[in-house]
Amino acid sequence: MDLELSEDESDLRDNVRAVLASICPPAAVRAVYEGKGDRASIWSRMVELSWPALAIPEQHGGLGLGFVEVALVAEELGRAVVPSPFLATVTQFAPAVRELGGGSPLAGEVLGRVAAGEVTGTVALAEDGRWEPTAVHATATATGSADGWVLGGAKDAVLDGAEADEVVVVARAPGSSGRESLGAFLVPRTALAAAPRTVLDPTLPLADLGLDGVVVPADRVLAAPGTPGVAEALDRAGQEATVALATATAGACRAIFEQTVEYAKVREQYGRPIGSFQALKHRMADMFLAVERAASLCYFAALTIAEDDPRRAEAASMAKAAAGECQGLIAKDGLQLHGGIGYTWEHDLHFLLKRAKSGDVLYGNAVHHRARLARMLGLVRGEAVA
Amino acid sequence: MRLTFGDDVEAFRREFLGWLAENRPSEEEMAAEPAVSSAHLPGWARRWTRRMFDAGWLVPGWPPELGGRNAGPVEVLVYLEELTKAGVPRTTNPQGLGIVAPSVLDYGSEEQIRDYAMPVLRGEMAACLGMSEPGAGSDLASLSTRAVLDGDHFVINGQKVWTSGANYADFCFLFCRTDPDASKHKGISVVLVDMATPGLTVRPLAEIIKPEHPDLNEVFLSDVVVPKANLVGQMNNGWAMANGSLAHERGMVWLSGVLGLEEDVDALLAEAPAALSRMEPSERAVVADGLVQSVIDATAARCLGYRGFAKLVRGGSAPEQALMKAFTSEAKQRLTLRAAEMGADRAGDISADPTSRDPWGDTWIERYFRTFGGTISAGSSEIQRNIIAEKVLGLPRT
Repeated sequence: MDLELSEDESDLRDNVRAVLASICPPAAVRAVYEGKGDRASIWSRMVELSWPALAIPEQHGGLGLGFVEVALVAEELGRAVVPSPFLATVTQFAPAVRELGGGSPLAGEVLGRVAAGEVTGTVALAEDGRWEPTAVHATATATGSADGWVLGGAKDAVLDGAEADEVVVVARAPGSSGRESLGAFLVPRTALAAAPRTVLDPTLPLADLGLDGVVVPADRVLAAPGTPGVAEALDRAGQEATVALATATAGACRAIFEQTVEYAKVREQYGRPIGSFQALKHRMADMFLAVERAASLCYFAALTIAEDDPRRAEAASMAKAAAGECQGLIAKDGLQLHGGIGYTWEHDLHFLLKRAKSGDVLYGNAVHHRARLARMLGLVRGEAVA
Repeated sequence: MRLTFGDDVEAFRREFLGWLAENRPSEEEMAAEPAVSSAHLPGWARRWTRRMFDAGWLVPGWPPELGGRNAGPVEVLVYLEELTKAGVPRTTNPQGLGIVAPSVLDYGSEEQIRDYAMPVLRGEMAACLGMSEPGAGSDLASLSTRAVLDGDHFVINGQKVWTSGANYADFCFLFCRTDPDASKHKGISVVLVDMATPGLTVRPLAEIIKPEHPDLNEVFLSDVVVPKANLVGQMNNGWAMANGSLAHERGMVWLSGVLGLEEDVDALLAEAPAALSRMEPSERAVVADGLVQSVIDATAARCLGYRGFAKLVRGGSAPEQALMKAFTSEAKQRLTLRAAEMGADRAGDISADPTSRDPWGDTWIERYFRTFGGTISAGSSEIQRNIIAEKVLGLPRT
């Protein structure tokens, strides 16, 4: 196993970091917090640079690279707190379309439009605060009718739920339960009743989506309820979304850690830099460990997806759990070591703190993923396997 | 990044596994005469070291005349992993093979290489490392064992402590002060001392677990006379050697931490289903979460270690390597405590296993206490954090 970046991979990372420093400086993040953000211009630059096309197969007009490259971009997005449709479109929507749609013409057309930057998207998965796509509690329904499928119910906390062009909606046959009766539909966001949430981090906007009465024509069905393999496809797509969020969170954590160390070197009290006090040195050494532990697991998980290794489900949950735990420690000590200045709105630190916390929560926090691992390892029983 | 090694490395792995299957010591001979100290060479261990030396499998990265085959670092990694998986110790004298012999090869005279390094590599002699003293633990450079040059010999007086394997070793790689007037890092030299020299006495220090099998010792030196020819390298150049010898250890030492952690996780997961099935659901959930955290720790340790290793192989620096010692030893501590807690409903959990004949075969709670050997020795966890903060993060010294 070689977990160090190749030359191409580190070139990509450096390039992405440089571009983001110019198109998304802290002032651009602050503008989002103040309601004056410009996601569109950041996204159009990403499209010019073909970032949405990175992992789309060449046959659909993409660059045909793998998930490692996507994860490297995600890490930098977290590091710079970038507001953009990238995470929802590239790491949630596109994988779901690919996994659910198989080789269908509909999936091919949609992936081509993602690669070209013509469409943004997201996935409506969670219900009632639960992230397991296949949880027996999922109640959104799809009922067959002469015009196609009629949806019912509601979805929770959809990333870019009020911004994306297209939404993959997961719903099940009425009265059914379990993993076998799920379906997935491609719905224009404007057809759905979107209720934006007031969120901790406006660079990761969420909305609840009402589905009642929405009609999906037959040619926009990715997988009809009961199609074999839907739950597995959602699991696989969910692993990509999970690892991308974990990696982005680890990226935000690394930025907090680096800023904290730099601050501790220059902030003086009692006539010496506060970073010379052993009590603080040891806390920063522990922050370093937490960041490297999470980042290493994120790279490993990204590799298991890129190489379609059988460990990918476990690796994804380990990465997300470690990123969530890292976030907890980094936020606590990063803010504490900054002292009063880090507690102010004027200082940029809170953008990173909030981004890291949001990244922990989306697609399940550390506790959620440790519980998943406990089920996968057969240590406890539960309704959902993974 | 990739999950697997190249075909050439896999071919190397197959070659080694083939040789290992034919030549490894059997479980029976290892069980019949277990090594009871880190410088104890049972008969099977002497023969095993010699077989590896002759076949070029003892230190694969070295040339054939030193028991190797000029293998690259990735091959060495694969070799160490496969040995661990097979349950065969590479040596029963880790300091001798890993630190003393390489240091003598680097700094020693031809005679020292012939009389000390080569016998260690051929399994004929065992070595111990005389570093810590009652007044010089983490602050090793404060050591005060004194060697006075008197014509063609040194006269040595002083005391060492925590000397692993001194009760079985044939000789000691001894750090002593040769210039008391120089600054503390500049007056230290290394001398090779036969353990049978008059005036040298060893007092084993019984440890908190298995006091009948002590590995740590006090070594007392009273007018011990050692030929000047036993000075290793230059006079007063011992501190460079202290760093150099530890560098030999650091190259791959992270791997034993990772592999040890993984072994423990496997053992824990094998025991878990039976233990968990006796628990109430609420208790089971709490215990399971602890086990999961140890599984994550072990996977993270492997990923972190491999990442740093890959950077070093490419000729770069790997700051994360500095984290490995504290991380793996502390993760092991957490794991053994959780494992002991997993059995907390069993009255027998806090009693030792009287049926075990393996001197290291402890219960989980005994192993927990034993993990403090890892977090205290060879630079305590606190010293590791100081090193990380100052050398890696660049924080100012106090």
